[in-house]
Amino acid sequence: MITKAQSFRSIGWMALLAVCIALVMVLAFRVNALRSQVKRTEDKIIALRLEQSYLQLEFQTRASQQQLRDWNTLEFGYAAPTAGQYLENERQLAQFARPDAPGAPVPIRVASLDDTVAANAAFPALVSPLTGKPAAAEAPAGEVGEGEAAPRDHGAAKAALGARLARVSALPGADDAAEPAARPAKDKPARALAAAAKPKVLADAKSAGMKPARMATETRSYK
Amino acid sequence: MNGMTASAALASGRVRLANVRQISLVTAKMRVLWVLGGFVFMTFVAIIRIGQLGISEVAPERTSMAQALLPSRGEIADRNGLALARAFASYSLWYNPKALGAEGSPLVKTPEEIARALLEIFPDANFADLVKRLKAKNGSYLHRRVLPEEANRVFALGEPALEFPREEQRFYPQGSLAAHVLGYVDQEGKGKVGMESVLEQRLLDPARRGAPTPLAIDARVQGALEDELMHGMLETSAKAAAGLILDVDTGEVIALASLPAFNPNRSDLAFNELVSNRVSTRVFELGSTFKPITIAAAIDAGVITDLAVRYPTAPFKIGGFTIHDSHDFGAFLNVPEALIHSSNVVTAQVADKLGAGALRRTMMQLGMNERPTIELPARGFPLWPRGVNAAGDWSQITTMTVSYGHGIAVTPLHLAAAYAALVNGGIWRPATLYKLDPAHVPAGRRVFKASTSARMRQLLRMIVAGGTGRRANAAGFRVGGKTGSAEKSGGGGYRKTSLIATFAAAFPMDKPRYVVIAMLDEPQATQTTSGQRTAAYNVAPIVKRVVPRIGPMLGVVPDSTRDVDISDISPLVRSGEGE
Repeated sequence: MITKAQSFRSIGWMALLAVCIALVMVLAFRVNALRSQVKRTEDKIIALRLEQSYLQLEFQTRASQQQLRDWNTLEFGYAAPTAGQYLENERQLAQFARPDAPGAPVPIRVASLDDTVAANAAFPALVSPLTGKPAAAEAPAGEVGEGEAAPRDHGAAKAALGARLARVSALPGADDAAEPAARPAKDKPARALAAAAKPKVLADAKSAGMKPARMATETRSYK
Repeated sequence: MNGMTASAALASGRVRLANVRQISLVTAKMRVLWVLGGFVFMTFVAIIRIGQLGISEVAPERTSMAQALLPSRGEIADRNGLALARAFASYSLWYNPKALGAEGSPLVKTPEEIARALLEIFPDANFADLVKRLKAKNGSYLHRRVLPEEANRVFALGEPALEFPREEQRFYPQGSLAAHVLGYVDQEGKGKVGMESVLEQRLLDPARRGAPTPLAIDARVQGALEDELMHGMLETSAKAAAGLILDVDTGEVIALASLPAFNPNRSDLAFNELVSNRVSTRVFELGSTFKPITIAAAIDAGVITDLAVRYPTAPFKIGGFTIHDSHDFGAFLNVPEALIHSSNVVTAQVADKLGAGALRRTMMQLGMNERPTIELPARGFPLWPRGVNAAGDWSQITTMTVSYGHGIAVTPLHLAAAYAALVNGGIWRPATLYKLDPAHVPAGRRVFKASTSARMRQLLRMIVAGGTGRRANAAGFRVGGKTGSAEKSGGGGYRKTSLIATFAAAFPMDKPRYVVIAMLDEPQATQTTSGQRTAAYNVAPIVKRVVPRIGPMLGVVPDSTRDVDISDISPLVRSGEGE
C-alpha cells in the first residue's frame, strides 16, 4: 500500500526528472544553436575568403606584366636604371663631393664636445692580416710613425678626450713639454692609450706650430 | 398474469438495454484500443526507423573550412609566389529549357529578341548560333566565363531560363605570359603541353594541392624578356622569336619565352601550331655560338696553349666543301681574334687539331646528343651528326662544320646549358623549371676545367667589349657572349636570306650569374638593323635591352668600376670587325 509520504516522494522524483530533462533539452538546444552559429560563421568566412581570392585575382589580372608594360609605354615611360644611378657604398657617394668653388659660402662650423657622431661613424678597425688581431694592439707604441695613418680606436680616443678635458683646468705647469713622446712611453698603464692617441698629438702639435702650453696639457693628461 | 407479463416485459427490456450498453462500451473500448494500437505501432515504426537511420545512414556531409577552401586544382606560382595559374570559380551562362516546367515555351520573349540582347552583352557571340541554342530542346552553355557585371546585365533581361552556374575553371592572371611553360587546361580539366600536364598528379592531389607549386620562373623577368623579344621581332619583321634565361649555378630556368605565344585562358583556341615552343622542342643549327665551345674544348685539351699563335684565314677545301669566312679579316688571326671576328676558317683548323673524338666527347658531355633535360613534356631530339664508323666517330669535315655550329642542330636550351657550363667554372647541370633550394642543387658533371672557364669568361667578354657582340654591351653589366647567324637549310641547301640569328650571353662576366639566350627566326633586313640580317644587328640589341631590365631584379647591380680582367689577352687583338 502506498503511503502519502511515498507518493509525495515519487512525485518529487518525477518533478526532478522533468526539470532535469527540461534542463538537458535547453542545453541541447543552446549547443545546437551555437553549432549552427559556428557553421554560419564558417560559411561566411569561406564566402569572404573566396571573395578575397576573387579580388586578388582581379588585382593580379589588372596588374599583369603585360598590362604594366602597356601602361609604361603609353603613360609613364620608365626605363631601367643605368649604372650611374647605383651607389654601392659611402665611398662612391663621397666621389660626388666637389671642392668648394671660389666665393662659395664658408661652411658653418659649430664647436662641440660631443664625439659620439665621429665614434659612431668609425670605420672598422684594421686587422692584422698575419695574426688576425686588431692592428692597434699589434703595433708597438714606438713604431707608429708620424706620417703613418695609424688606426684610430675611437673608444679609446673618446676616453682620452674626456680625461684630457677633465684635467685641463687642474694643470699647473708646462715644464715637461719638451718630451711629449718620452713620458707616456714610460708610463706602463697608459701605454695602450698612448699608442692610440700619440700620432694625433704629434699631428696636432705640428699643425699648431708646437705651442708649448697646449702640448703641456696634452702630455700631462696621460699620467 | 397481466402484471407478471408486464413485469417480465419490463425486465426483458431492461436486460436488453443493459446488453446494448455493454456492447457499445465494449465497442468503444475496442476502438480506443485500436487507435492506441495504431499509435503504438506508429511510434514503434518511427523508433525503429530512427534507429535504422542512426545506425545505417551516413551523416550529412559537413565539409570543414579547409576542405571548402581547397581549390579544385592547385595553384602554380612563380619563384616569388606570384600566382601564374589559379583555380577560379567563374560564372557560366547556361540555358535551361525546363526552368518554367515541361509545358509551354521556356522563354518569356522570343529567342531572336533574347539573342539580340545577348549579342549586346557579348559582342563576340554568334547570333545564329545563339538563336539555334535558344530554340533547342536541350540545355547548353551560351557563354563560358561570364563577368559578374555581364551576369547582372543578363539577369536584368528577366529570363528564368538563363542560369548562372558557378564553375571551377583555370585562370591565368598574367594572360599569355609564360604560356609555353604553363601550358593550359582543356575543357575536360586535363593539363596540356606545359607544367599543367607535368604536374597533373600533384595539382589534383587533395593532400598537396592546397599549397601553391613554385616554379623557377620569375614573372617580372619573363615579362621583360617577352617584351623585348616581341620588340625585336617586330623591329626585324622576324617570323618568330625565342629566349631563355638560365641560372648558371643551379640550372633553374628564370624565364623561357617563345613568341608568338598562345593565350592559355582560351583553351578552346589553344591547340594550334603556336603551342609548340622554340626553346625546348625545335632544333636549329645555331651557328657561330658553337665556336666558344670548340675553343674551350681545345684549351681544355691542351691543344691551344698559346693564344698568340696565328692561323691562316684563307678559305680551304675539304671533302668537296669550301670553308670560308663571311668577311676578310686579314691573312692570319689568332684565337681571340678568330672569336671576336667569328672566323669559321680558324675555328675549323682548331677543331681539326683538337680531333673528332675530343670535340664529340665534349659535345656529348654537354648533352648535345640527347633531348634537353627539362621537365616539359615536349623536348626536341637534336640532329646529331652521323659517324663514319660503328663507334660513331665523326669525319674530318663533320668535325670542322660542327666546330662552328653547322651540321648539328640542337635546341636553344642545349645551348644555354652549355654556356652555363662554359662560364660557371666548367660544371654542366640539367636545366629545371622547379624552384630549387640551395641544398638540392644538383652536383652536375665537370666538362671544362675551372681555368678554361676563366679563360672563356675573358674571351666572351672581349667579343662583347670589342667584337661582333658590341651591340649587346649593356653599360655596367659586364655582358659577355657570342653571336651566331646560321642560314636555314631548305630547298636542297642553305637559304641565304633565311637566317636563325642567335645571341648567347652571360652576365656579369666577373662572376657569372645568368645565361641569356635570344633568338630570332628569319629576321629581315630593316632600317633599325642598319639593313643587316645578322645577329650582331638584330639579336644583340635585344640582349642589351633585356639585361639592364632584369639585372637589378635578379640582384645584379650595374657597376662601371668592375669588369673581368682581360688585360692579359687584349694586346693580342688588333682592332677590326666581322660576323
